[in-house]
Amino acid sequence: MTTFPLLLAVGVFTIILGTVLILLLVSKTEQLSRLQTSLREMTKSFNDLDEQAKLIVRTDLELNKAQEELDKRLNGLDALQKTSRLISTTLDEEEIFKRLDQSLIVDLGFEKNLICVYDKDQALQCRLNVGFSPEDVQFVVTSLEKERSLTQALKEGHAFTSAASSKQAKESIIRIFDVEHFVLTPILTQNNISGILFVGNRSNASAITEGDEELVSVLANQIGQALENARLFEQAYVASQVLESKVQERTKQLALALEEVKEINKMKSEFISAVSHELRTPLTSIKGYASLLITGKLGAVPETVKERLEKINAHSDNLVKMINNLLDIARIESGRVEMKMEKCDIAAIIETAHDLLTPQMREKNLQWKTDISEGIPALVLDKHQVERIFINLVGNAIKFTPENGTITVRVRHDPRAAAIEVSDTGIGVSKADLNKLFDEFYRVDNEINQSVKGTGLGLSLVKKIVDVHKGKIWVTSELTRGTTFHFTLPFDPAAPVTG
Amino acid sequence: MCQYTILCEAVNHFPKDRMKGISEVSTQIGIGFSRHLDSQQAAREAAMQAKTGLRGADAACAMLLCTGHYDPHKIVPVVNETLRDPRMVGCSTAGIILSGSIETRGVAVLAIASDEMKFGDGFVEHIDTMSPPDVGTELAKRCLNDFGAHGRQVFVFFVDSRLKNISPLLKSVQGTLGDIFPVVGAGSCNHLQDKDAFKIYRDRVLTNAVSGVIMGGHMTVGVGSRHGWRPLGKPRTITGAAGNIIGSIDGKPAYNIYEQYFEEEAAQLRGRRSGQMAILYPLGIYIEESRNYLLRNAVDIRSDGSIVCQGDIPQGTRVHLMIGNKESCKQAARGAAEEARQNLLGKDPKLIIVLESMSRLKLLGRMAFQEIVKIKEVFGSRIPVIGMYTNGEVSPMQSTERFKRPHLQNESITILAIG
Repeated sequence: MTTFPLLLAVGVFTIILGTVLILLLVSKTEQLSRLQTSLREMTKSFNDLDEQAKLIVRTDLELNKAQEELDKRLNGLDALQKTSRLISTTLDEEEIFKRLDQSLIVDLGFEKNLICVYDKDQALQCRLNVGFSPEDVQFVVTSLEKERSLTQALKEGHAFTSAASSKQAKESIIRIFDVEHFVLTPILTQNNISGILFVGNRSNASAITEGDEELVSVLANQIGQALENARLFEQAYVASQVLESKVQERTKQLALALEEVKEINKMKSEFISAVSHELRTPLTSIKGYASLLITGKLGAVPETVKERLEKINAHSDNLVKMINNLLDIARIESGRVEMKMEKCDIAAIIETAHDLLTPQMREKNLQWKTDISEGIPALVLDKHQVERIFINLVGNAIKFTPENGTITVRVRHDPRAAAIEVSDTGIGVSKADLNKLFDEFYRVDNEINQSVKGTGLGLSLVKKIVDVHKGKIWVTSELTRGTTFHFTLPFDPAAPVTG
Repeated sequence: MCQYTILCEAVNHFPKDRMKGISEVSTQIGIGFSRHLDSQQAAREAAMQAKTGLRGADAACAMLLCTGHYDPHKIVPVVNETLRDPRMVGCSTAGIILSGSIETRGVAVLAIASDEMKFGDGFVEHIDTMSPPDVGTELAKRCLNDFGAHGRQVFVFFVDSRLKNISPLLKSVQGTLGDIFPVVGAGSCNHLQDKDAFKIYRDRVLTNAVSGVIMGGHMTVGVGSRHGWRPLGKPRTITGAAGNIIGSIDGKPAYNIYEQYFEEEAAQLRGRRSGQMAILYPLGIYIEESRNYLLRNAVDIRSDGSIVCQGDIPQGTRVHLMIGNKESCKQAARGAAEEARQNLLGKDPKLIIVLESMSRLKLLGRMAFQEIVKIKEVFGSRIPVIGMYTNGEVSPMQSTERFKRPHLQNESITILAIG
């Protein structure tokens, strides 16, 4: 009887235990299920995150590539700007390559660089070399000359790159330059090719990009432009040198000629002086004897003979006058005339000349006018010589001015000189004759000169006198309206010229 | 002054009680740089500037860095002669880091004259015919022999980056030199990546070699290192690895991780631009002890899909694809500088040597100098800086300990502050 309750208790306990275990099992199963769900969710999240990470990595890779290219381009632009500044500020071809040498190597960062320029025989000459041995350069130049199609394409302006060239061209360039990646471009000037520019990298990690290609192309253009400028400058410089040399040669020749002319002129003056002296002595005798014969002291002279003797006398006077003028010109030219420089009143000199010539003016009923500005200082001059200027000029005016005409003398005050004009209302001088008026023995071909005797030395003498006073003389004229002689006389010819 | 020469620094560090005697040596540092096109002229200019900075004292130690544009056989004799045969190490580089600029072409010389600091240098050639541990042991022994019985502070070395697994070498170096001071190093390279890269030991130009120098005596060294890359995507597990080769990740060929992220672009890893993608998106291995990711560049993809890295890969560790950007690089530079400063233990820095991955130069491009700006924010604008862009950097990883086990790293910036 005692076993039944025990069995019952055991049974109940077993049932409860079983129930608890079943409940526990159910609970654990549910927990495990939840954990599995969480794990799946976590794994899914992990995988989702990993997928996002893949997207991030690919985006980052793209960004890095873009950044790398951008950096490369920025560096290239920096280098290009620097290079441009360097080579555009010189007009010396040697200096261009010297400067390129630095900038290309340091800043552009290509492993191999080569610039060759065609010489006058159309042979390539290496001007810049980085990364090539002298033997390599020789090989490149020789090989390029053999590759006719390549050099022809370059001469036509085509560039070659490792990324975009034909297989044949690419293989040739790789063989010649021993690189994997390259840009080979012509250096073009205005009308033709002046050389080639090559850059390249051997390393596969340093491929040439589109940006590099553009950069090298721009650089080649800048080099071409700089070379063109340098050559134009060289040509202009050489031309100017030739011109300057010719000018110097001509100047030397002219100086020699001038010296010769001066020497001849001096000889002429000496000759004239000598001859004039020799002429004057017998002329004095001729004139003396003619005058003596005219007086009849040596016996009565028939009227017809007397007339002839008077003509001899008159011609002798003219001859003496001419000889005197020639002597004066010769003296002034040779510097042998002694100028008596002293302060004089120009108005008084003009009046003296007027007094001397008044009878002749009256004969033709010519009106005399003077217009002298106030404040003209006393001039330092040779009074006698300046009087001769006025006598000659006014004498000329009288000679070529018809009756009832007017002769005017004006004096104006210039900064450092007196500006003097002697005008007439005469027949005037043609333009063709104006430039020759001051030549010795030149006489204008007109009716008056044909009828009136003259030496052709008066104006020449006037010019010499003005010259020794450091003045200037020139003439203006209009046919039938009159002539004006302009000349200046410095206040003091010995005063230093300033400004 | 030549137009190519853009920098000359001279820093003289005299103890305050010796400031009166300018002829006393103490420690003097000269840095010279030239970008002259001619190798000999560039060497002469850089060496003369560095020598000028020493104020007549003889250089006890020199570091020569030059880009691959130059002929090292013309440079090394000139620098060696100008500085009168100092202990000299160095290598070719993809770029030179200076206080005022980043130069991708040029020759830089660091010269140190000091009666406080001690130096011992050495080299090992034909390293591809030796086991890496033997190379490390031999290098360390030679340097120790030259260094003598002074207190060691830091070991700096330059190694050929063709040595694809450097971890055993590092272990043996530490095994010989001891592990209580930092070891930093750089993989030589040039602008054409590792082609024709060379090392320098005194008056010799070496390829397939490693050269190094122990610095010690009365000096303090602070090292800081960061990379700035962040993990991206879900973690994966390296299920098969041997040495520096990752065979499988998550049971699939290792290369599959790149295919998953880059799809058809991943083919570049096998092709011409493998370097570019590998350096931008390295693999990051989580290192528990330093709570940081050790980066590994894929230097080669084998036909079976396994990835060859520059350093050891522990099997069973978590691996991520890593991503970085300019800002994270700049912050990493600042972080490395702060860590180096902290490790100087309050001493004033005399010189900063930067060993930085050339990957960062590629990533930062025109902004590369911003990293130097960040470093100068920590050390002051007048601190002399010299450094190089490397193909693999060796330095302790960031951790709470002062002295740590060196690792070969990729994409990192290592700052060595000498106080």
